[in-house]
Amino acid sequence: MGTSHLPMKNLLRRPGRTAALVLLTALLAASVFGGSVVVGSLRSGLESLQARLGADIIVMPAEAESKVSFKNMLLQGTTGAFYMDASVLDEVRAAQGVEIAAPQTFLASLKADCCAIKVQIIGIDPDADFTVKPWIDESYSQDLGDMEVAVGCNVTAGVGETLKIYEQYTHVVAKLAETGTGLDTAVYCNMDTMKKLLAAAEAKGVSHKITSGSDVISAVYVKVKDGADVGRVNNWLNGHIRKVTAVRARSMFTDVSDSLAGISRAAWALIGAVWALALVILLVTFAMMIHERRREFAVLRLLGVSRRGLRGEILMETALCGLAGALVGVGVAALGVFPFTTLIETKLGLPYLTPAVGALLKLAGGTILATLLVELLAGTWAAARLSRTDPGTTLREGA
Amino acid sequence: MLHAENLSMRYFRKTGQANHFHAVKDVSLALRPGEVALLTGRSGSGKTTLLHMLAGLLTPTEGRVRLDDTDLYALPDAALSRLRNAKLGVIPQGRSAVDTLTVLENVLLPQQLRGEKGDAKGALRWLEALGIANLRDARPAELSGGELRRMAIARALAGNPEVVLADEPTGDLDDENTAAVLSLLRKAAVEEGKTVLLVTHDSEALPYGDRIYRMESGALSAQSEE
Amino acid sequence: MKRQSIPALAILLLAVIVSVGSQTFLGACVHGDGSFGACHWACRAMLGEGVLLAALSLLALAMKRERAGLYLAMLPASLLGLLTPGTLIALCKAPTMRCRMLTQPAMEILFGAMLLVSLVGWLLARKGEK
Repeated sequence: MGTSHLPMKNLLRRPGRTAALVLLTALLAASVFGGSVVVGSLRSGLESLQARLGADIIVMPAEAESKVSFKNMLLQGTTGAFYMDASVLDEVRAAQGVEIAAPQTFLASLKADCCAIKVQIIGIDPDADFTVKPWIDESYSQDLGDMEVAVGCNVTAGVGETLKIYEQYTHVVAKLAETGTGLDTAVYCNMDTMKKLLAAAEAKGVSHKITSGSDVISAVYVKVKDGADVGRVNNWLNGHIRKVTAVRARSMFTDVSDSLAGISRAAWALIGAVWALALVILLVTFAMMIHERRREFAVLRLLGVSRRGLRGEILMETALCGLAGALVGVGVAALGVFPFTTLIETKLGLPYLTPAVGALLKLAGGTILATLLVELLAGTWAAARLSRTDPGTTLREGA
Repeated sequence: MLHAENLSMRYFRKTGQANHFHAVKDVSLALRPGEVALLTGRSGSGKTTLLHMLAGLLTPTEGRVRLDDTDLYALPDAALSRLRNAKLGVIPQGRSAVDTLTVLENVLLPQQLRGEKGDAKGALRWLEALGIANLRDARPAELSGGELRRMAIARALAGNPEVVLADEPTGDLDDENTAAVLSLLRKAAVEEGKTVLLVTHDSEALPYGDRIYRMESGALSAQSEE
Repeated sequence: MKRQSIPALAILLLAVIVSVGSQTFLGACVHGDGSFGACHWACRAMLGEGVLLAALSLLALAMKRERAGLYLAMLPASLLGLLTPGTLIALCKAPTMRCRMLTQPAMEILFGAMLLVSLVGWLLARKGEK
């Protein structure tokens, strides 16, 4: 029967009651959407870190701080510089089970003029490199030439600009896609450029802690042959090459994925608590609302609304509130999360990459559906309680 | 014709099975089109319970209610609701307004529930006849008890039902309005052939009835024709 | 009458957050050497705009008859605030600086909200006058 205009009128003409319900629902939706976007961003950040660090083993100088500063460089974008003799590369290449060994050399820029921050400069060997090179290829099809650099997305300079590093002018030829890791604040060049920059840095008094004259590198990325045992290669490298430490790349992420798992658990526990609380409040609110309005509903029955029609009217009100609340909640969460992506990444100190638009839309859709479902469940429960009594009985009470 | 056949209503109290309360005992009566029947009795004698059963709002524990050839409580809920909407105009005791609708919207509601647009002019004529046309756009919360009662009467009559069941329709009204309401209901029976039942303990109503039923402790104790 | 003052209350609250926040928890950082960047002065400008909007909302609360006009004045005032960080006054270049990560998005949301609320307030006040 034609009750379709009733739910809307009921909602609009009781703005206070409606606003309270919409706000409660918005809280539910915002917690779920905000939480799942953050967790999803951490997950895609970890994936992107794994892709950029797609080595089996990383060999670096044996000093204790090199592993720490390497990790901070990856995760927080702080600068780090540690060196070993370039001859290490040949020793690694000679080891059994090593398929590719690619060197990288690090240099930290000095803090430049106003507002610029220290950046990490990473020299790669374009012929051997298999981690950073494919990433550069995505945005720059040629090899990096002499004094040419590619910059991470969070570096201020743009393509075509000149970047002055230790009084040397380098040309920015590419801006790289976002990874959500510390690599976004780094500058990449080839080994020849790196040698010039190192020399310039030395001229400025920044020492490499290694006898000058010989070439230096900071890390060797190793890919083992198919079928070779990564652990054994790793042990061999540790045992046979002096003054270096070989680290399995996976152990680098274990910490990261552990803290990711921790954050996910905390986030879901929090979301779960918010939902449990909101569900209880929602059920109590509905029960109270239906109780308060039971006379109104009995009158509707008296005027010829069937049990089913009444249930439809209640569920329609609930669904409208639920939809409005879910949209408001998703919107508020989006405003609270997306503009502050960089801030969240910095504060968490973990790789953080916002998922693609498609995935975000799915998350938003899922949130809206879940919220509507909970709301409708509460509404159904309340409506079912109502239809157990004859309208006559209700009309007699406190008439 | 609206028939009650051996209607009984027992309420079981929660304190025990044996402990039940017989609100209406074995009542049979027949309400005829074109007649106004009055149902009187002390409070608690079962008048309202009987009216609710006649209106299809309360399932009796025993007995049947028939409107012409239809057994009300044998119908499924949807069909009974449709019948209530189309053929029965009920004026319950107490507040019965839908608070989010205006007075006019309340009066048009039964017709709109049928899926019709609603006859606003006709509704206004009823409001006029009951002296509350000026309140057409007011919300129920702004109305006095007597005005709400008259709105409920207008709503019951505007739906053009075959049977009008009114529970203390003059309860909140002053003398002048009482007379107006009673003659309006009488006119509905005599001129439009509606079946009208008034539950009342207002002695002023007596001259308006064709038939008077008295209830005592749930049973019909007397029936008289004027 | 009561309904029309709700937007003014909301704007007052937001404007106080802007004024206090621009100098404290939402403000730009001080450089290591104690010098100020453009972002510092951008925050000063937003302090002024926040105080202006707070004053307008207080006037709107106090003067019922001028309310529609006051809401109307809040529109360009919040637009000015919205455009201050980054557009009218430059902030730091690096996206990882505090003023870019926190101040700019937070202020844009706050001023944007005030823009919307003053629009709603104006519509309500106009409706009330008729």
